Amino acid sequence: MTPRLALTNVDKAFGNTKVLHGVTLTVQPGEVHGLLGENGAGKSTLLNILSGVVSANAGQIEIDGLPVTISSPRDATNAGIAMIHQELQQVPELTVAQNIFLGNALRKGIFVDRRRQEAEAKRLLAPLDASIDVTAPIRTLRVAQRQIVEIAKALRANAKIIAMDEPTSSLTPAEFDKLVTLIGRLSAHDVSIIYVSHKMDEVFRVCKTATILRDGRLIAQVPIPATPVAQVIELMVGRELAHATHHSFATDKVLLKVAGLSRGKAVLDAGFELHAGEVLGIAGLVGSGRTELMRLIAGVDHADSGTVEIGGKPVPNSPRARIKAGLGLVPEERKRDGIIRHRPVASNVGLPSMAAFTRWGLIRKRQLKARTEALMQEVRLRPLEVSRPIGSFSGGNQQKAIIGRWLASETDVFLFDEPTRGIDVGAKAEIYELIEKLARNGKAVIVVSSELPEVIRVSDRVLVMREGRIAADLGRAEITEANIARHAIPSS
Amino acid sequence: MSKLLSRIRFRDAGTLIGLIIISTVFASLSPTFLTAPNLLNVLQHSSINACIALGMTLVIISGGIDLSVGPVAALTAVLGAAMLVAGVPIPLAMLGALAVGAACGFVNGALITWGGLQPFIVTLGGLSLYRALALIYTGGTPIFGLPDSFRALTNGTLLSVPNPVVIVAVLALLAWVILNKTPLGEYFLAVGGNPEAARIAGVPVTLTKMAAYIISGILASVAAMILVGRLGAAEPTMGTLWELDAIAASAIGGASLMGGRGSIVGTLIGCIILGALRNGLTLMNVQAFYQLLATGIIIIVAMLIDRATSGKQGG
Repeated sequence: MTPRLALTNVDKAFGNTKVLHGVTLTVQPGEVHGLLGENGAGKSTLLNILSGVVSANAGQIEIDGLPVTISSPRDATNAGIAMIHQELQQVPELTVAQNIFLGNALRKGIFVDRRRQEAEAKRLLAPLDASIDVTAPIRTLRVAQRQIVEIAKALRANAKIIAMDEPTSSLTPAEFDKLVTLIGRLSAHDVSIIYVSHKMDEVFRVCKTATILRDGRLIAQVPIPATPVAQVIELMVGRELAHATHHSFATDKVLLKVAGLSRGKAVLDAGFELHAGEVLGIAGLVGSGRTELMRLIAGVDHADSGTVEIGGKPVPNSPRARIKAGLGLVPEERKRDGIIRHRPVASNVGLPSMAAFTRWGLIRKRQLKARTEALMQEVRLRPLEVSRPIGSFSGGNQQKAIIGRWLASETDVFLFDEPTRGIDVGAKAEIYELIEKLARNGKAVIVVSSELPEVIRVSDRVLVMREGRIAADLGRAEITEANIARHAIPSS
Repeated sequence: MSKLLSRIRFRDAGTLIGLIIISTVFASLSPTFLTAPNLLNVLQHSSINACIALGMTLVIISGGIDLSVGPVAALTAVLGAAMLVAGVPIPLAMLGALAVGAACGFVNGALITWGGLQPFIVTLGGLSLYRALALIYTGGTPIFGLPDSFRALTNGTLLSVPNPVVIVAVLALLAWVILNKTPLGEYFLAVGGNPEAARIAGVPVTLTKMAAYIISGILASVAAMILVGRLGAAEPTMGTLWELDAIAASAIGGASLMGGRGSIVGTLIGCIILGALRNGLTLMNVQAFYQLLATGIIIIVAMLIDRATSGKQGG
């Protein structure tokens, strides 16, 4: 049988970073094909190539045995490929019908023929979900219904291949059941589905075959559900680790106690204790609630319920109060949440501890500068010019300055959210050293990271988050990639 | 610090060069321009705008805008004048006027921070609201009959420098100290530069914004008192379009309307540029319509130069 879609030897590099190495993906007509891999394995890039958002550097794409060139989203649509993104790309204020015909309106002369569009939209939606009102604005629909509208749009473009990226991230179990039925029906009509998900139970329920990627390479194509879940996970994760020696300085003294912390569906009933000298890693998939948990602990977002105790005392819910109590957050989004771009390094470092540098209402600028210089020498800021605007430094050096901010104040509990994102290898090692040094000095440290080797390298203990909950609390001996992945990936 | 200072000075030096060029042109065209009495005249005429612009600069730096300054001045002028006419002691009446300005600033700040509304919209509403209050209170007629002892405060001189200039110079020094030497100034710059990062770093964002609007309100009432003293009457229509002059002076002086950047020294020079321009053109008997044209051109040219040079500085 001629495959519906055959990608062969696809290479892709962004700058000097090669993200896909000769990847091959073969999908049969009417097949529901899982595309699996960890964060950063290359799934998104592959989907982006398929949907014409980026172009491959090398490799071929064939549809029904005929080679095609996809260099724009329009090419992809014309080739019969449709994407249902995780973040649905719809215009909230336009109606269902208008969204379906967006960019491809039915016309009467120079005018859009609304009535015909609505009739056509109704016809397309009838077999999918007849309850959707085609004249309602998209924003009034539930996510599941909006997904169905996207599918209708794909069908209207005569899509032969529909790629779904984490389609169930905002669906209820009942809505997922409906989606499964719908996928079955599409498959029966010979539409091929590429299904991207982290959730093993879903993959095993809807897919017939799965292609597994790791670090931008094709690892295996396996039949589902014939292959055991454990083996699939192992294929996704199983990477050898470069072991670095790990020193533990953990004590029994509780510095931070979190209990029953919840916010919406992002964080559910999180509770743990953190000790002086301890480095606690927090692992989990993107969207598992790690960053949200950090923001709750730092008082940046309001918790629906739960308490945060620092040094044995409950602390009110505001960044200022938590900082005063001895907590410091190094946020994930450095540009958005960390730096004041135009202000000098010294101002950025001194910002949370202005009171300490103030006498009779005036900032002692010389003292602030001297202290900042000393700290920046310690974290090896390059160049060591604390009067330069922080925005003129490289990402790694900005990060060092933001970390230095908490060294300047009386911080006991350090929260690092993705501390090495976008930072070169040298600076990474320096940040690891700094974390170890903090622990040695009796500070308590939390490190959130998507990179398992990083978590494993720095942590005395690891909490694994899954769907907003703390799914596991692993001691040093139990910290392995497979163990973390087993708890991080939802499966039934 | 030297590099930071040199960077700020670089921008202020640019504004100063602008002032020097304009002054040179007028000095060569009119023999009276560069005389001491005329220069003091320029400063005196600029002092009201400078007083307003100091507050505006702090508000703009903290990421906001205050369009309500003119009507706030008018409201404090009529209420302050009413108190004076009613025989309230001068210091008390002046404190009362400042309190009215502070209250208006507080209302603006409260709507912006706790109410979560856009500064532009809130103060645009304030622009009508405070004006309306002033008009309703007076029935649209000016208040006369201010005590001479009050008028003497604004019409006197200190070492032959007009008192309004002295008062505004002192206020400017205070504003400069606040912006450059106190935590509040650091917070203004941080909140305007990146409000979310500032909040996460523990900056009291609400209080900071509130402080900016309250300071702006108080400075508007100081400007009102100065003008009332000079005119000998409080008009409810006082202060029309003051906000635009103040914004123009701040922008010429290097304040970024995106927030996070600005300079007190720059703003003062900006005020003097606008004042010198009007004075010089008047000396040359240029029609008022053309004065307006020249003001517009100066603002836009200043912004173009700013854009071109800050690009070179790497943003």
